[in-house]
Amino acid sequence: MQYKRKLITTLLIGSGIISAPQVALANDSSELEQLRALVQELDQKVRVLDRKNELADEAAAAAKKETPIVSASENGFGFKSADGKNEIRFRALAQIDYRNFTNGSNDTKNIDGFDFRRIRPSVEGTLYGKYDFRFVPEFGDNKTTSNSGIVDAYIDARFKPWFQVRAGKFKPYVGLERLQSGGDIKFIERSFVSNNILPNRDVGASVHGDLFEGKLNYAVGVYNGVVDGGDNVTSQDTNGDKEYAVRLFTTPFKGEDSILEGLGFGLAATHGNFTGTTTNTGLPNYKTPGQETNFFTYNAKLTSGSTTAYDSIVVGNGDRTRWAPQAYYYSGPFGIIAEYAVVTQDVKNTGSLAAVKNKTATLDNDAWQIAASWLITGETASFKGVKPKNNFDPDGAGWGAWELVARYQQNNIDNSAFTNSVFADITKSAKSAKAWATGVNWYLNQNLKLAVNYEQTNFEGGGGGTVANPIDRPNEKTLFTRLQISY
Amino acid sequence: MKFKTLALSTLLAALFVSVQALAADISLLNVSYDPTRELYQDYNAAFAKYWKAKTGDNVSVKASHGGSGKQGRAVIDGLEADVVTLALAYDIDAIYDKAKLIPKDWQKRLPHNSSPYTSTIVFLVRKGNPKHIKDWDDVVKPGVSIITPNPKTSGGARWNYLAAWAYALKQNNNDEAKAKEFVGKLYKNVPVLDSGARGATTTFVERGIGDVLLAWENEAFLALKESPGKFEIVVPSLSILAEPPVTVVDKVVDKHKTRAVAEAYLNYLYSEEGQEIAAKNYYRPTLESVAKKYEPQFPKVNLVKIDDVFGGWQKTQKTHFADGGVFDQIYAK
Repeated sequence: MQYKRKLITTLLIGSGIISAPQVALANDSSELEQLRALVQELDQKVRVLDRKNELADEAAAAAKKETPIVSASENGFGFKSADGKNEIRFRALAQIDYRNFTNGSNDTKNIDGFDFRRIRPSVEGTLYGKYDFRFVPEFGDNKTTSNSGIVDAYIDARFKPWFQVRAGKFKPYVGLERLQSGGDIKFIERSFVSNNILPNRDVGASVHGDLFEGKLNYAVGVYNGVVDGGDNVTSQDTNGDKEYAVRLFTTPFKGEDSILEGLGFGLAATHGNFTGTTTNTGLPNYKTPGQETNFFTYNAKLTSGSTTAYDSIVVGNGDRTRWAPQAYYYSGPFGIIAEYAVVTQDVKNTGSLAAVKNKTATLDNDAWQIAASWLITGETASFKGVKPKNNFDPDGAGWGAWELVARYQQNNIDNSAFTNSVFADITKSAKSAKAWATGVNWYLNQNLKLAVNYEQTNFEGGGGGTVANPIDRPNEKTLFTRLQISY
Repeated sequence: MKFKTLALSTLLAALFVSVQALAADISLLNVSYDPTRELYQDYNAAFAKYWKAKTGDNVSVKASHGGSGKQGRAVIDGLEADVVTLALAYDIDAIYDKAKLIPKDWQKRLPHNSSPYTSTIVFLVRKGNPKHIKDWDDVVKPGVSIITPNPKTSGGARWNYLAAWAYALKQNNNDEAKAKEFVGKLYKNVPVLDSGARGATTTFVERGIGDVLLAWENEAFLALKESPGKFEIVVPSLSILAEPPVTVVDKVVDKHKTRAVAEAYLNYLYSEEGQEIAAKNYYRPTLESVAKKYEPQFPKVNLVKIDDVFGGWQKTQKTHFADGGVFDQIYAK
């Protein structure tokens, strides 16, 4: 049996029908080696690919650390170094108004129309992570010969949060409402406090900083000095007198879970000494809320040989001191801001009439305002701009943010200015202006805003008549609308 | 008596506290090449201890590691290194040429051309040496996968390249064309180019890629130590004497007012302790007594010098590694 099996097997192998076991095994072994080699080769290839991807990722991560970042968003456009320490940003503020003077003095009749209130492209940035710069020219109506078309031009060195130095032309750290950006203010025009008493822009330098985790802000500065509400030129100062400003502002509950978290209050003061001349009096004019005309001017007209009291030039005569307590409070959608400012100004009449010649006085003129806002769409109110919860979408998905605003303000001139008309003429200059305003702001999105304000101002004096019986200047009623783009 | 003891103790305590209070805290940045991490970790601790004992001051040394060329460029571009400890002199020469942060004759300031230790290039192969690699000729055979970093960024890679070139010159009667062909074959077998020597070690050891790693000797020994039983070192018949130099970066130390400490930091590399640390990390010490002690640790290799074979680093860099140089011609093919 076994012999037969062997014979059959031998015959079968010999015929090639089946292979010899050793040959079969040898073939299997060879194939196995080939397969093993193939698998190893493929394994290596996969590992190489993986490693190349890994190295490419590392190189990309390393490159990212050095690649500048280009940004284009609702916050503006700009370039930033990879480490974030060097940056330049391009931003803009454009305000196109339609201004309607529904009633008022002769000088505000027939002046309704469109007005480019602010057209301000700006370049700002940071170098070395510490040195901020900002340059803002003005192409709008706000440009005057007194500001040379440059709104801001300054460098701010942030050495430490508590020690920073700013130099150039900028808003002195004085008025609270003035420190709000022109794009963030609640009303189309700022109040008497900002426009008529406290400085707008000045050229100088200030040390400032935040203490106690940002709960206390201080600023101490020295400037060339400006008239009330004034905006200094960027050319060299025409006199050696300087104006000093100091401000302390606290938000004591900042960062705390308190109903008073949004409370801020402080005090600012300025002091300067300026002796005016007949060509540069150093004294302001006080504008109406409409900003087109003055309701108060010091005596300034000089007519040769005239015997009338007002025909003589009043000039600043030394000290000018301002005090400005200020506060705001924000809670949820509500906000309120209140400011008071008083300027104590030495004045002198340079006229030749004996009744006025070399007459001097120290006058206290003041202004105050209280303004409230309510974001009826529920956004959180703050000192800075409004970001709608839902941007306006014509397809109805969102309505933007809607805000109601109201303000009451006053600007009062020291009665002593009108005594015997030595410094001001009550028939030509009002001694007080009292205004109330209301309005609606519609923030379509973070960058686009529509606003409408109605403001009515009553004056005391300044409308003619006689010194003994002055007539009040006609009320000014303004209906202003604004389209604002900012980024 | 009790009062006097108390008073004296108080005075001593006060003196101790005031000395501690007066002790300065000094920080140095050592910008180094890729594989020296372990060396400077050990060395920095030893130097800090030495300096504290000597001066009472606390010194902390931060180390930055990367491909030698890349590191040198980082210093040129503004990385404020108090000292640089790079893989080759050319990368430090560039700090003078491009940024004038050091004097031209920097290399003469410290012994042995400012190289406190030396090294060489060996082969690291997998256990059992499955591809039977014994010398450079075996490395360039088809089917052998070589791991070596990019000579454009890595100092070690440049030493690898030059070692191979030197071998090929010797084998071919100094025929440059044949050497170029030989090195060309070598780079054809390279599947991945890491930016630094440590990256290449990672590719070979941890990612399991390649049959042979052209490695710094210290890297090869480190791989054996950290992965016992997995690799073997093969010493080629000829290799190159690598002399990684060190220098203080003068403009930086003068700005930081750290010159004294920085100079002491480099000088201490030449001390007995410094040399022992180098040797323990598989760098060949230059101090004779320590070199003799650790002689059995290092294989005997037939070493050539760059000055003798290639005419120095300036010429070598220009010929082989500059843009459009021989390496670019080889690798572009």
